[in-house]
Amino acid sequence: MPPAKRDLLPGTLDMLILSSLSVQSMHGYGIAQHIQRLSQDKLRVEEGSLYPALQRMRQKGWIKAQWGQTPNNQRARYYTITVLGQRQLGEQETSFAELLDAIARVMRPV
Amino acid sequence: MHEWLARIIDWVRRDRLQAELDDELAFHRTLLERDARLEGASADDAAWAARRQLGNATRVREDARERWSVPWLDHLQQDVRYALRGLRRSPAFTLSVVVTLGLGIGANAAMFGVIDRLMFRPHAYLRDAGRVHRVYLQYTDREREHTRDGMEYTRYLDLRRWTTSFAGYAAYYHATLAVGTGDVARERRFAAVSASFFDFFDARPTLGRYFQAAEDSTPVGASVVVLDHGFWKTEYAGRNVLGQPLQIGSDMYTIIGVAPEGFSGVSEGANPAVYIPITTFAAARSRATSRQYFLSYDWGWMDMMVRRKPGVTIAAANADLSAAHARSWNAERALVAWRPPVDVARPRAVASALRSAAGPDPGLEARTLRWVSGVAVIVLLIACANVANLFLARALRRRREVAMRVALGVSRGRLIAQSLTESIVLSLAGCVVGVAVAQWGGVALRRLFLDDTSRLDLVTDVRTLLVALAAALFAGMITGIAPVMFGTRGGLASALKVGQREGTYHRSPARTALLITQGALSMTLLVGAGLFVTSLQHVRDTRLGFDADRILLVRRDFRGAQVSDSDQVRLGRRMLETAQAIPGVERAAWVSDIPFMITSTARLSVPGIDSVARLGEFTYQQGTTDYFATMGTRILKGRGFSKEDRANAPAVVVVSASMARVLWPGVDPLGKCIRVGADTAPCTTVVGVAEDVAHNSLTEAQRYRYYLPIEQFRPENGYAVMVRMRGDPVAAVERVRAALQTVMPGQAYVIVRPMRDVVDGERRSWRVGATMFVAFGVLALAVAAVGLYGVIAYNVAQRMQELGVRVALGAQPSDVVRLVVGQGVRFAVLGVTVGTVLAIGAARWVQPLLFEQSATDVRIFGAVGGVLVAVAVLASSIPARRATRVDPNTVLRSD
Repeated sequence: MPPAKRDLLPGTLDMLILSSLSVQSMHGYGIAQHIQRLSQDKLRVEEGSLYPALQRMRQKGWIKAQWGQTPNNQRARYYTITVLGQRQLGEQETSFAELLDAIARVMRPV
Repeated sequence: MHEWLARIIDWVRRDRLQAELDDELAFHRTLLERDARLEGASADDAAWAARRQLGNATRVREDARERWSVPWLDHLQQDVRYALRGLRRSPAFTLSVVVTLGLGIGANAAMFGVIDRLMFRPHAYLRDAGRVHRVYLQYTDREREHTRDGMEYTRYLDLRRWTTSFAGYAAYYHATLAVGTGDVARERRFAAVSASFFDFFDARPTLGRYFQAAEDSTPVGASVVVLDHGFWKTEYAGRNVLGQPLQIGSDMYTIIGVAPEGFSGVSEGANPAVYIPITTFAAARSRATSRQYFLSYDWGWMDMMVRRKPGVTIAAANADLSAAHARSWNAERALVAWRPPVDVARPRAVASALRSAAGPDPGLEARTLRWVSGVAVIVLLIACANVANLFLARALRRRREVAMRVALGVSRGRLIAQSLTESIVLSLAGCVVGVAVAQWGGVALRRLFLDDTSRLDLVTDVRTLLVALAAALFAGMITGIAPVMFGTRGGLASALKVGQREGTYHRSPARTALLITQGALSMTLLVGAGLFVTSLQHVRDTRLGFDADRILLVRRDFRGAQVSDSDQVRLGRRMLETAQAIPGVERAAWVSDIPFMITSTARLSVPGIDSVARLGEFTYQQGTTDYFATMGTRILKGRGFSKEDRANAPAVVVVSASMARVLWPGVDPLGKCIRVGADTAPCTTVVGVAEDVAHNSLTEAQRYRYYLPIEQFRPENGYAVMVRMRGDPVAAVERVRAALQTVMPGQAYVIVRPMRDVVDGERRSWRVGATMFVAFGVLALAVAAVGLYGVIAYNVAQRMQELGVRVALGAQPSDVVRLVVGQGVRFAVLGVTVGTVLAIGAARWVQPLLFEQSATDVRIFGAVGGVLVAVAVLASSIPARRATRVDPNTVLRSD
């Protein structure tokens, strides 16, 4: 029985993808697996939103797409983060941290 | 920005992206299936789980596709296809629009190619061109403003010393000198420039270095030379030439550098072959004289450029320069007392465009050219009006279709977009035709205006192409919007209700207005053409006072060699004797001055007159015995020169009729005394009166000239020989040159040129104006005539039924013709009226470009108006004839 699907906070998908790609270049499946594994199956990227997001980010110039071979010799499209994407990731991380911090203050007032 | 570009690129390759996404999703699915099977699911279950996990594949694809769909691009593509389909269906319409626009766009592209090179194009490598100016000196003389041609080096030093507004100053001068030694020596353009000149550019020398301030210093600069890149390539094949000697004029220079490719300094026209320090050149040129070019004010020759400091306005810079010029003027007056004081001459200076055609005193030709460019724009406007008219006619034909589409819910915006797309597609096709026209016509234009036979290609010139494109888009916009603005008006219901044959014929006020505009603009252009043609005619008819068609002008060039005065005099006499002996030569004279090229003035005083100079400018010519007979200048009273007027004989002078009138009004001038050179000079007696001649320009009002026997005055100034031929002088050029070359010493050579060429050069601005106005005017007339024909033919087709009724009721063919032609003539008369008003409005500005021709000449207006009406009759008579063949039986029964 797979764990219940947890919805992502709006706007975090880009950040998660960028963060995954900052580790190494991956294909779409790899990104989904990476996020799922690191979040210990708490976060599951819906593929239906993954691919449109990848297209959007490619057009914004945050990531690059390139066809390559998997270790099993299958053809797959690999995504690589660009300098612009790295800068974007930094900004998103900062604002996300601020958001979490703000939420935490509301939930547990000191 | 980046994102939009990416989206557009994705849009272009959207089919491939879609396929790639499908591959990607398939790959994802196989991996999910593998995962499921690893967990022990059956093949079917695994496939099902994978599909479920991947979600709705169609939705994913739709969502992703949205990222690379650009709605307006989709629409654009649709519209372009629609337009192309429509245009393919009516090739005659398409062709006429493309050709009409092509001519208009081509005329503008070609004119821009010329105007740009003459006025606007910044010089290559020039840093921060907006703050770099040429300094123009101005002063007032006898109530008239003058802009000076050349500047003294001393003045340049003064202005540099006494201004604070500039961060850089440079002096420059262009002319020709013999470059090279022996057989390879050729007359080439050179630039004499100050060392500071190169600081104005961001141009690193290809080889070596430029000269430095220490090498460009008074009194004599160093003999160093920087080569032009092209000269270096062709003459030295790009070898390392540093340190090699090169003869320029009579001096040897050392090559120290090569300018980078494309560098031409601020030269207009051909690139200079070499750059030498200006002080070196000035010293070489002053060597034979005692003048100190950097201290005196008697040699105005060079030009000055400045770089404004940041933050200094042009007005402030001009004030600064003017103050310095006034100070310099006073410094000059301390040396030359007869210069008028500052408060009379009001010396000023302006920092203006580097190119003289864009400067404060552009000259007749550049001003004519500006008008011709305006004319090109008008031709484009006429072409646009014509095309808009064609569009309108079509829009009216399509009223039902359009009304239907509106009724079906097509928005007005989409209709406009479609119409615009169509017109822009057409105008872009017109742009291609236009560039071809410009390329072909541009060669002729540049030859006419720039004296430039260089292979500068319009097709590869980005600036010209951009202008052509801008003209095309402009034309596309205005022609595309017109039919929508006027064509879709009126009730939707009524448009749908009426049949193909509308009950009554609709007048279209928009079309009428366009037609009248065309007529009016054609009228103005043709009036301009008429004015310039008559001006040119007047210029041609002007009595020059000499027979340009019979005379050859012979000059000699010592190729920079120093020749003593006595040797020059001896050579002059020898040349004259040789010329007189050449078969076919009727007469010859040795002279000091050449019409339109060289003019001499001397201080002149006349007993009984306080200040002769106040009466105007008196110029003189020296000549030998046969001078008047050679030139064909008539002696009106007394005598010309005779053999008796030798060096030791009593000094005599012949004066022009104007000069006699102004100096001795109502008195016989023969026997009067004038003093030439100084107030204390001995009397020179007037022995004859000659007819007036044009010497400085064809249009000068004052023709005060006097003639001195050269042997009695300054034979050392004898410079040229005028040769009068019995037959055609052009055919004799080479023969005369060869005969005279035999007497030239050393490397010196003779230049023989028909005097007619020199005069033709003077007539150029009128010829240019006449040629261009006529060409553009006829073009405009043809376009307007076609437009009128189209409208009348359309109206006749619309009125067929009404005409049928008239014929059925007994109208004769002549009545029908009168009806149709009358309409065309009404249009023409309205156009002529509006055009007359426009032309009269512009007359004030055109007047200075004309010659003895009023810009509001009734005869020209009348003639042009008549031509326009005649053309209108012709253009409407064709549809009128068709109207007379109306068969009431057929027309009334159709539909």
